[in-house]
Amino acid sequence: MSATAKAGRVEAVRTEAAAEDVAIFSAYTITATFWLLFTTAVGLLLSFKFPYPDWATSPLLSFGRLRAIHTNGTFYGWATIALVGSSLYVAARASGVALVAKRWAWIGLWCFNAAAVLGTITLDAGLNYGDQEYREWIWPVKLVFLAGLFFSGGAIVRTVAARAEREIYISNWYTIGGFVFTIILSFVALIPNYQTGLGQVGVQGFFMHNAVGMWFTFLALGVTYYALPKLLNRPIYSYALGVLGFWTNLVFYPVIGAHHFEFSPLPWWFQTLAIVFSVGMLVPVWAGSANFFLTMRGHGETIRRSYALPFIVVGVAYYFLGSTQGTVEAFRTLQSIWHFTNFTIGHSHATMYGFITFIAWGAIYALLPAATGKRPHLLATGLHFWLATVGVTFYVLVLSVGGTLQGLDWAAGNPFIASVDAAAPYWVARAVAGSMMFLAHVIFAYNVWVMTFGPPPETMRHTTLPAPEVART
Amino acid sequence: MNRGMNNVWSLIAASAIVYGFLAIVMGVIPGVVMSNIPPTEGLKPFTAAQARGREIYVSEGCAYCHTQNVRPLQQDLVFGRPSVAGDYAYSTPELLSDHRNGPDLTNIGARQPSTTWQFIHLWEPRAVVHDSIMPRYPWLFDVKSHAGPGDEVVPLPPGFRPSNGVVVTTEQSRDLVMYLEALKQVPLRGGPAK
Repeated sequence: MSATAKAGRVEAVRTEAAAEDVAIFSAYTITATFWLLFTTAVGLLLSFKFPYPDWATSPLLSFGRLRAIHTNGTFYGWATIALVGSSLYVAARASGVALVAKRWAWIGLWCFNAAAVLGTITLDAGLNYGDQEYREWIWPVKLVFLAGLFFSGGAIVRTVAARAEREIYISNWYTIGGFVFTIILSFVALIPNYQTGLGQVGVQGFFMHNAVGMWFTFLALGVTYYALPKLLNRPIYSYALGVLGFWTNLVFYPVIGAHHFEFSPLPWWFQTLAIVFSVGMLVPVWAGSANFFLTMRGHGETIRRSYALPFIVVGVAYYFLGSTQGTVEAFRTLQSIWHFTNFTIGHSHATMYGFITFIAWGAIYALLPAATGKRPHLLATGLHFWLATVGVTFYVLVLSVGGTLQGLDWAAGNPFIASVDAAAPYWVARAVAGSMMFLAHVIFAYNVWVMTFGPPPETMRHTTLPAPEVART
Repeated sequence: MNRGMNNVWSLIAASAIVYGFLAIVMGVIPGVVMSNIPPTEGLKPFTAAQARGREIYVSEGCAYCHTQNVRPLQQDLVFGRPSVAGDYAYSTPELLSDHRNGPDLTNIGARQPSTTWQFIHLWEPRAVVHDSIMPRYPWLFDVKSHAGPGDEVVPLPPGFRPSNGVVVTTEQSRDLVMYLEALKQVPLRGGPAK
């Protein structure tokens, strides 16, 4: 066999391997997008139940059951599947190889989706593990999700272990860390026989915060450390700041969970420790966001012309703002007003939506067109960006004001219903903001279709779209 | 960079050791210690019916709007005395909650002792609190054309009665109300809560 033929065959095998990686990335993105649409439709329905409580009063559409479907579905259906899909792609790209354990990546995808389907059905039937935020799924469903973590995380680890580069790129530190922490966390949350009564409250404080900050934060930072330098065609400002962020987030974050139960019967020193470490969280948050902003500095024109970069800019801005807000919220004086109010719902959307969801979108718009060779629709991307950005900003603002009014009403000693009346107009405004966000998701779904099943790039050559600036590897 | 951390297994081991340690210290040990706090003196475990009612409370997600956590703050004292650790000895799954779209229910059995009020309120909250945004729970009741023997009719005010008959309680609504009525704080002996 001639050397050229041999090289050709090697090249063909390599292309085939790369093609399956693209299929895996696409499949993760498509199913994640389904969960985004479904669970935010549920969220929108819930937001209209505040002004119209007598609307849709069947058990399957009741507030108490749908709320957990909204939160768990956005967490474990949308954000998890979207970020794991991007992380798999990044793991291979940043390692200079194709995905090693492709079958494991597919099994992981099936497990995540099966868990989200089963979780949705069981929650709607009224089956849950207590009204404990983000761990409402019953244990068999959690086991399916845990299997998803094991297989998709295993695919990433095996790919990074087989890398062509000498060093493990910082993105993969964050991704692998996120999987290790979350698998440990799942066991802590799952094992039932050591947590009863107030003990369960202690575990819940630990779990609910770690599920966000040791999973979504790590995956989102991981893909940002890859996508941002790629899109800007320059190295990350400081590798050392990235490493500092990794270790400080790892050490500080697990201690802050009890700030969800301030003024509760949890030991006072335990709550104080959580507040102190909430301040410590400013180190990784400011290190990470400064690192990203300094990488972007002087590239305004590139950002303006990009599909993906504006999403990452908003994501990093909300990472900085939302997390700093979290620190401020933990102080006892402010917590005494804001705790239990809708201010906290605003905060959770600033972080899980403004930060996590925008980074997931930025990663998809950065990496998927490069993978499939199909660009998103320009006008649709612009509409998606502005509806989502204005929507979430309005959402956070109105609930922050409405929540503050609730807290002030209670502190003033007014009858409870006064706080309901005070918040009512802000709940209507929230439903308006939610409608904008949902519309943005429909447009995003259209773009995902264009980037995957849409017409092949040949037919797009004749359009007048400006040259795409997408990640090249 | 750190050469050792460029072995993927070292990275996994280091992450797992640091996080595993923190998970034990901040999650598991507090869980074990606080699970063994003795009940507040005089606190009674739930009866079978109350426990079934509590399951309905959990399954319908009542805790997404109602706390069971009276804080040692002036604005919370309207709901009862500040909660203490022993108050939760029989409360699994825990229902302290993070959200108060409706009032705290720690002591609701003492604050709203009327069984009839509870039934009317679960059928249609706006029949008793005009501006309430609480959902209705009609599936915890039956609507019958005529009340049979042994049926407990919910005395709804005019305007909230179904046109086709009367609303009667079911075992589910009775269990739930029995649970709500059992939510009564026991007085503390030996000084105020910490």
